Amino acid sequence: MTPEEMQAAIEALQGLSSTNMEIFYYWCTGIMILIHAGFLMYEMGASRVKHSLASGTKNILAFAFMIPTFYMFGWLIYLSMWQGFTYDPVWGEFGLPMSAIMGPNMADQATGVFWGAFTLFACTTASILSGAVIERIRMASFVVLAVILGSVVWNLAASWGWHPAGWLVTEWGYHDAVASGVVHTISGFFALGVLINLGPRIGKFNADGSANIIRGHSLPMTITGLMLIVVGFFGFIGACVLYNYGTNGGWVNIYGGPTTLSAYAFNTLMAIAGGIIGCYACTRDPFWMMSGALCGVISAAAGLDLWYPPLAFAIAFAGGYLGPWAAKQLEKMGIDDAVGAVSVHGICGVWGLLAVGIFLGGYPGFSSWDGFEVPAINMMGQVVGAVVMIATGFIPGYVLSWIFNKLGILRAGDGVQRDGMDHELEGIAYPEEIRSH
Amino acid sequence: MINSSPITSWEGAEAIFTFADSPMGMAVCFWVMTAMLIVPLVVSYNAEENAEIEHQ
Repeated sequence: MTPEEMQAAIEALQGLSSTNMEIFYYWCTGIMILIHAGFLMYEMGASRVKHSLASGTKNILAFAFMIPTFYMFGWLIYLSMWQGFTYDPVWGEFGLPMSAIMGPNMADQATGVFWGAFTLFACTTASILSGAVIERIRMASFVVLAVILGSVVWNLAASWGWHPAGWLVTEWGYHDAVASGVVHTISGFFALGVLINLGPRIGKFNADGSANIIRGHSLPMTITGLMLIVVGFFGFIGACVLYNYGTNGGWVNIYGGPTTLSAYAFNTLMAIAGGIIGCYACTRDPFWMMSGALCGVISAAAGLDLWYPPLAFAIAFAGGYLGPWAAKQLEKMGIDDAVGAVSVHGICGVWGLLAVGIFLGGYPGFSSWDGFEVPAINMMGQVVGAVVMIATGFIPGYVLSWIFNKLGILRAGDGVQRDGMDHELEGIAYPEEIRSH
Repeated sequence: MINSSPITSWEGAEAIFTFADSPMGMAVCFWVMTAMLIVPLVVSYNAEENAEIEHQ
């Protein structure tokens, strides 16, 4: 083989690797849509019949509004804000909606595929908020809040802590491989900020402050939906790794650090199992048992590229125990989180970040960008990251919902809640003989 | 008919989407999309207000 032929063969192989990565990401995005099918079933099942269609519609609208708004400004924020609140015009240009690569372009195979995956991450954040606020939030206000969360807030945090040059990564050694912080903590605490202003469902709390259980109309639908979310998580987790992006010729994590797809397979499955069993040990409640899969994955997510699988199981088990316990504490504080989103995503997300600090200290940092000395993984970096994620999620959620509440557009009136949120929509969920009030 | 093609040949073509060579065309599409996001929200707010009155 001549040197020219060798060079041509190398270039052909590099092109094939690039194509493989784009195909991989493309289908991860498709699988991630199952998360939303799951959230749809989960939230409708967790609602009473008279609210079930409204809960589903809210979920679908969040998904639909997220896609164009992430195109308009979400991708731009992720690419350009990695220094903090300073805009990087060089990288920002790649995310501008009128850029030559933000549409069909024969010279660029990848941008749309990566944009698609990140858009689906954004949709996930909106769905996390969606479950917490069912049966009393007004539809249009929810959509606006979801857009702010999914197309502004989480991607700002992702630019800081889920980017090869993000300041949390390069200055503090923050490690969050599969987004315990930048997706789940952010969304959970955004939801908490909204819940404080939104208030509980009618009938949730008694005059003495004790809580009533408000059961959804279909626990089987809810549990099946949760299992679909777990399936979709494989797409989500797959989209957190890159193939042949770095110089090592193999898989790399979101920072460009070496990893293997095998690591994600081992630890994702272990975390699902640990979370389910941890929740079952804590509650014996089928709803929480299946939510435990999410508690487990979210708890192990930040270090999913590095855990010894039995340790991933143990961390997930602890997360599975922590989720329902935290939900109970929130309820005692008068917070009505209809599906436990704050505890499952927010609290377990924080636990996941701290678990990395506890168990993964000393792993060398890595950035695929030149010119950065990334500190090793350390507890202080994880604590700083957790505080940043909590604040970045909670503050905008609280402030915006406070404003909406003052304007009288946040919460449906008592009459609408009593008669059912579905009255605002055309169509009924079930035939009259099986409707309940 | 609107001529939205940015290319006259596939030879060496890069950005091939409609109006890729026309900032004005892209801007019009962008703002139409923006309006299509805002108007349904306004309609939804109005429908919710009506529902509030009907279900007091």
